[in-house]
Amino acid sequence: MAQTEKFVLNMGPQHPSTHGVLQVQVELDGENIVGAKPVMGYLHRGIEKLMESRTYAQCVPYTDRLDYVSAMNNNLGFCMAVEKLAAIEVPERAEYIRVICAELNRIASHHVFIGSLTNDLGSATGMIYAFRDREKILDLFNIICGARMTAHYIRIGGVAADAQEEFLRDTQAFVDYVPAMLDEYDRIFTGNEIFQARMKGTSIITKETALKYSMSGPNIRASGVDYDIRKIDKYGAYGKFDFNIPLGEQGDNWDRYIVRLKEIQESANIIQQALDNMPEGPVMAKVPKVLKPPKGDAYHRVENTRGELGFYIVSDGSTKPYRVHIRRPSFVNLQALDSMCQGMLLADAVTAFATIDPLMGEVDC
Amino acid sequence: MHSGILYSTAQALREILMSFVGIPIIVDIIMTVICATILLLIMATSALVFTLGERKICAFIQVRIGPNRVGPGGLLQSVADMIKLMDKEDIVPRGIDKWLWVLSPILLLVPSALIYAFFPFDDGVILADVNVGLFLLIAITSQTILPFLMGGYASNSKYSLIGGMRTVAQMLGYEVPMVFALMGIVMLTGSLKMSAIVEAQSNVWFIVLQPLAFFIYIVTALVESNRPPFNLVEGESEIIAGPFTEYTGMRWALFFLAEFSNLMCIGILTTTLFLGGWHGPDFLPGFAWFWIKTFICVLFYQWVGWTFPRLRIDTMLSFGWKVLLPIALVNVLLTGVGIYIYNIM
Amino acid sequence: MGTYFSKEKLDLLKAQFDTAEYDAEQAEPAIYIGKEQLLDLMKVLRETPTYAFDRMSCLTAVDYKEYYEMVYCLYSRRYDLWVTVKVKLDHDNPEVESMTQIWEGTNFEERETYDLMGIKFLNHPDLRRILLPDNYEAHPLQKDFVPLEPRVEGGVLTWHKPKNLS
Repeated sequence: MAQTEKFVLNMGPQHPSTHGVLQVQVELDGENIVGAKPVMGYLHRGIEKLMESRTYAQCVPYTDRLDYVSAMNNNLGFCMAVEKLAAIEVPERAEYIRVICAELNRIASHHVFIGSLTNDLGSATGMIYAFRDREKILDLFNIICGARMTAHYIRIGGVAADAQEEFLRDTQAFVDYVPAMLDEYDRIFTGNEIFQARMKGTSIITKETALKYSMSGPNIRASGVDYDIRKIDKYGAYGKFDFNIPLGEQGDNWDRYIVRLKEIQESANIIQQALDNMPEGPVMAKVPKVLKPPKGDAYHRVENTRGELGFYIVSDGSTKPYRVHIRRPSFVNLQALDSMCQGMLLADAVTAFATIDPLMGEVDC
Repeated sequence: MHSGILYSTAQALREILMSFVGIPIIVDIIMTVICATILLLIMATSALVFTLGERKICAFIQVRIGPNRVGPGGLLQSVADMIKLMDKEDIVPRGIDKWLWVLSPILLLVPSALIYAFFPFDDGVILADVNVGLFLLIAITSQTILPFLMGGYASNSKYSLIGGMRTVAQMLGYEVPMVFALMGIVMLTGSLKMSAIVEAQSNVWFIVLQPLAFFIYIVTALVESNRPPFNLVEGESEIIAGPFTEYTGMRWALFFLAEFSNLMCIGILTTTLFLGGWHGPDFLPGFAWFWIKTFICVLFYQWVGWTFPRLRIDTMLSFGWKVLLPIALVNVLLTGVGIYIYNIM
Repeated sequence: MGTYFSKEKLDLLKAQFDTAEYDAEQAEPAIYIGKEQLLDLMKVLRETPTYAFDRMSCLTAVDYKEYYEMVYCLYSRRYDLWVTVKVKLDHDNPEVESMTQIWEGTNFEERETYDLMGIKFLNHPDLRRILLPDNYEAHPLQKDFVPLEPRVEGGVLTWHKPKNLS
């Protein structure tokens, strides 16, 4: 009598497709997955603790290192939380530039998503195409703040410097290029039979599961839950723009991919509106050199590329935050990994890692 | 009886040797050694050329430049790679099955070198023109399963083991449709001899007479040689590198060599079986046509490989058994009916 | 941000739970509740149809040296409503009921709070360290935290309290 035995395969922390140093203990029965447990902490730097010994302004660069492919959104989250705590009014032009940068970074982050997804599906060609276009956005960041990835451009009270003509012109050129770019993606991979066959109907997250695990961002929207903080909270200048929230139906890998693809177009629309209605004026509020927010606490959340990014800051009235807690979307989203992988094949697990889109800098904090 | 530059050169060489040595059997042995050496050289050079070619073509498809630092336009890149691979540390992992582990890359090279004996490069230029050439060829190529399974089993690594199991599954699933597809050619030719198969295509290539078989052959050939989109055995994003996960340096290079040799083999086989072999207009010699066709085929296989994402094991197996096999059987039936109609007309 | 839980509703809760209190001076006061009544309060907030707090937006703890404070930020998608619930915990033995019984998605966040702050969650399905090594015996976000020193003993990385603090 032949006997079969389940075995545990440690995928990661060193594996070509685990997106950083995520370790997943996959329990396998042949090629079928019985369970998948994420093991984290390989990139834990203690950012929350480090922030306790830095002044508020010094904390901002640490947020760049959280979700390092969408640094602007993290800057925005932290700065807005501090502004809420210290009751700082941000000038309107700064709000617009913040939105442009955050949305550009959202597109860049979705490029990384598309690139790593296609690479994990075995088509390295797709990765190069996505990264080629991401490069254009990084060049834009290079113009506006001199940094490409860890921007530290959005500061408490506004932005570091005004946007130059060159930046606005090149951003306009990029926005004009977006439809052609998406069309090319459609022709290279979205329309590919193999691509569709591997993504459709695999690793389904139902609406109920997504809500149960407090998921957020494109992952919960792919399951058909209309939940986008930009629309709900209308923070910053987002209330002034008209944009749609793309929703999925089933919550399978395919929906998670399509939702992000559509979000790129929506982000481009937001940028276009911001460019058209850009007000004149200062880009920095009057923030005291030594910022001492009043005693108290504040929680503020923004829609990061990966979901609901929240900062809970406690101030004791001194120049340094008493406690900072970061609610990281990919960390919470990872809870769904086990239910996504169950009953799938090993090859689907890789797709599931890619479409849930965790970023280890953010998961491990 | 045969024409062509290569054949006459070989004949001249034989005459010279004959005048020096005088004993026919020794001359035969010397000639065989020379030919085998040339074939091994072709195989080794093809690996060198294809590593660079593959990287350049892949770079072209991926809007990159590709290797361009070593030598003029990156021409010496594969030499640099070879030197690098040679001085890499030879890591022997703990807990392996030593003999199987060491033998696996060496044995893998044997079948891929052996089948070069059955390729007709030009009119009359074939090392072993045996009566059951095609049959032997298929038999030998299917031996590549064994080293993969050995390497996968002996490496004491779960990734390698999964890769080894995948090899067996996919070879079993695709060997059968391939054989049935080639059956159509054998029926048309009436012989398993490789030279006879090429000879039968002097007027019409088999790609015209056997389009279904050609389609099946392309797919199965990609599977047999582990090319993307069917490179599930290596599947780097899932199981790192399958059976070669634990190999380093020259041992790994042997796997690599076999892979490129296999790539050229399927190019040559496509040319020989479907594209008329060395047949072509007279302004170029036969072997030139042969190599031109082969390189076009290889280019095609690389193009396919760098465009598509990888298949999943279950879709791939069900495609082999449920789609390709029935088509291949239908093809055999249609060929039989066609031959019957042709004969009574 | 949406609307905050109104003072009338807070008064309603105060009448229902005797340990509930809030600072009426503040614009957006947090509800303080005794840890015995926390689970009941959360169940009310989650299940009452007029509140329907279906999302645990943020779960964390703060070390105030004399006591720990658990902070729960709840959000109701249906009414676009916010509320913050706080619980004071004893500094020597910080224990609180796990919220996984109501919101299953708090699993990782509670494990993280346990890992970094050292708060024990009762009835948690899988209370293990999540970010730090399993043999690490300190909780870094506590205010009196001193980094442990790594040492390799018998091929295993172990962590030890520093001997001389100068």
